[in-house]
Amino acid sequence: MPRPLLLAILLLTLLASVTAAQSAPFDLAAALAAAQPGDTIVVPPGVYAGPVVVDVPGLTLEGQEGAVIDGGGLGDVVTITAPDVILRGLTIRHSGKSLDQEHAGITGKAPRLLIENNQLEDVLFGIYLKEAPDSVLRSNRVTGMDLPISRRGDGVRIWQSPGALVEGNYVYDTRDVVMWFASDAVLRGNVIENGRYGLHFMFSDNQTVEENILRSNSVGAYLMYSRGLTMTNNLLLDNYGPSGYGVALKDVDDVHAVGNRIVNNRVGIYVDNSPREGDAFVIFEDNLTAYNEIGIEMLPSVSRNVYTNNIFQENREQVAIAGGGELRGNDWARAGWGNYWSDYAGFDADGDLVGDLPYRSTSLYENLMEKYPNLRLFQLSPATDALDLAARAFPLFQPRAKMADEFPLMTPPEPAAVPGVPEPPLLINLAAALGMLALAGVVLFLGIRRPGASRRNP
Amino acid sequence: MSLTTVWILTQKELRDALRNRWFLLYAAAFAVLALAFSYLALAGAGMVGFAGFGRTAASLINLVLLIVPLMALTVGAQSLAGEWERGTLAYLLAQPVHRYEIFLGKYLGLALSLLAALALGFGISGLVMAIGGAGATDPGQYLQLTWLAFLLSLAMLSVGFLVSSLTRRASVAVGIGLFLWLIFVFLGDLGMMGTSMALRVPIANLFIMSLTNPLQVFKMAAILDIRATLDILGPAGIYAVQRYGAALLGIFLAVLALWIVIPALLAYLRLATRGDW
Repeated sequence: MPRPLLLAILLLTLLASVTAAQSAPFDLAAALAAAQPGDTIVVPPGVYAGPVVVDVPGLTLEGQEGAVIDGGGLGDVVTITAPDVILRGLTIRHSGKSLDQEHAGITGKAPRLLIENNQLEDVLFGIYLKEAPDSVLRSNRVTGMDLPISRRGDGVRIWQSPGALVEGNYVYDTRDVVMWFASDAVLRGNVIENGRYGLHFMFSDNQTVEENILRSNSVGAYLMYSRGLTMTNNLLLDNYGPSGYGVALKDVDDVHAVGNRIVNNRVGIYVDNSPREGDAFVIFEDNLTAYNEIGIEMLPSVSRNVYTNNIFQENREQVAIAGGGELRGNDWARAGWGNYWSDYAGFDADGDLVGDLPYRSTSLYENLMEKYPNLRLFQLSPATDALDLAARAFPLFQPRAKMADEFPLMTPPEPAAVPGVPEPPLLINLAAALGMLALAGVVLFLGIRRPGASRRNP
Repeated sequence: MSLTTVWILTQKELRDALRNRWFLLYAAAFAVLALAFSYLALAGAGMVGFAGFGRTAASLINLVLLIVPLMALTVGAQSLAGEWERGTLAYLLAQPVHRYEIFLGKYLGLALSLLAALALGFGISGLVMAIGGAGATDPGQYLQLTWLAFLLSLAMLSVGFLVSSLTRRASVAVGIGLFLWLIFVFLGDLGMMGTSMALRVPIANLFIMSLTNPLQVFKMAAILDIRATLDILGPAGIYAVQRYGAALLGIFLAVLALWIVIPALLAYLRLATRGDW
């Protein structure tokens, strides 16, 4: 046999074996059906049709780069019904759109699940835990559907599943990350953007919320009907909209918020009937509340709140009372140590770093605004400053102070370092400013230059 | 119409503006205050590590509302009446130039000098904020703010021209201009606030009412530019955004355009037909 022919046959057989390997695709359904408890299934790259049900206890389902499970727009995509399952590295996409059937990318219905490094795209609900206690959601990326907010599902919903750990997830364009009847959860280092409520707690006690970034939602963190919450070093930024709040508390007991940065929200901190119980507390300390429209808004009935060592920096309205009135029974200082208010105009003669005059929040215009919310239309108008000036000049019109901090701080305390703050672009800003100066220069030059055509007297 | 003639008159007006002490005073005050606001922003940014551009922009809007109408109304009011008083207008009218050329030249010259004053103030303030790391995350917003302030200054300039064309003495014109400034800046808004409280005006009507004040229109347009919503203006602002949606900015610009064109047109008609000039 001539050698070229031999070579050709050899090549052909090789090619045939390669194509055979490619054309016998990995059968996910068969692999799942054959799996024994404790097995590991590695899913090679490819697109697999959902729905997928994982019902083998202790199974590890691990996707290689490019392993995609596509729900085809019908119902749930992956459902886990056995305990101790690990789901890792998969791309899961295209769930159904029914809100009442709660179509989700991943539905977990058994205890001790570990769901990590998955990518969920175009899903109504992202990860939905139903009665799956002690589960871990880590480093998943959930992108919701491009729907009006009322038709979106929750990025993460944890239902009747105590002891959850939700860590390092990125949730974008969904409704809420919500805990229902899910006590003792830890939420740490998540980034939640463009949703309705970044974090939402309903009837969930003993929560730990640390170092999350909650940005551009309607409400950063809305905590309701719960007891026991520790919020530490979170960033709550740009939460706007008709009911935009950074942190909102409704009927919550025993809240301890420390070192959070609450910046550029419509309302920084909103307190409604919290704490409920006589022996419960709400403590805010070492937080930064800056550049919000309203720094802190409370209902008139709120009491037993404690604020100490916080910074209230340049909020358009530092303290607001919904409906007007004055606040009673809250402590704006603890052990002779109050808060820093950027509009405090007192002095410190005895040098103890605490202002000698109390900080009082009084403004005629703010007072009117709280009684007649329509007057907010005149925000920023010099007329509103004139009103306040007149009220100071003629104390007859001066309303009663909303609150008083007897021990205001003269200098702001050092705020905690929280990552995730966007930097403005230096070069473009410089260019814009210099461009404007150049424009001014050109016009000035035209004015100074003697026009050649005119021969008028100097 | 001879463009050369208009341009020569424009340049003359620019040079006059640079000699006008009132104008220089207001321009300097605007620049210094804008600078002060940006320094305040820097102090906050340095302390808390955040660029509070939105907050600084709000202060700048406040500043523009106070000073820009004052500047534009004053120079506008002095324009025709002042030249008439000095006799230079009669001299100009005796030259072989059309009245509309004179009007156009004067208007353009003053508009350019206002633009220079605004660009200077916003430029210095923007420079300080940019260097200090407290600039806008989207510099386009800052440019838009400047542009809107310029539109407001044009509207006030037109009103000033109208006042000037109706009077014979510069002092009277400036007095009327200052009174108008008081109305636009303080009395109008206070009146609307009082009306709103006393009569419980529905928000739809309150919003329409506020559109009559060009200062309010500028303010709302500027907030819309920076925030993309009018949430901070409370129920009426939220109503406006929901009711008019994307057309809202167009409405604001149209109202400002009307305030620029109509008084200027009336002033020109007065200049063109006034027998004693």
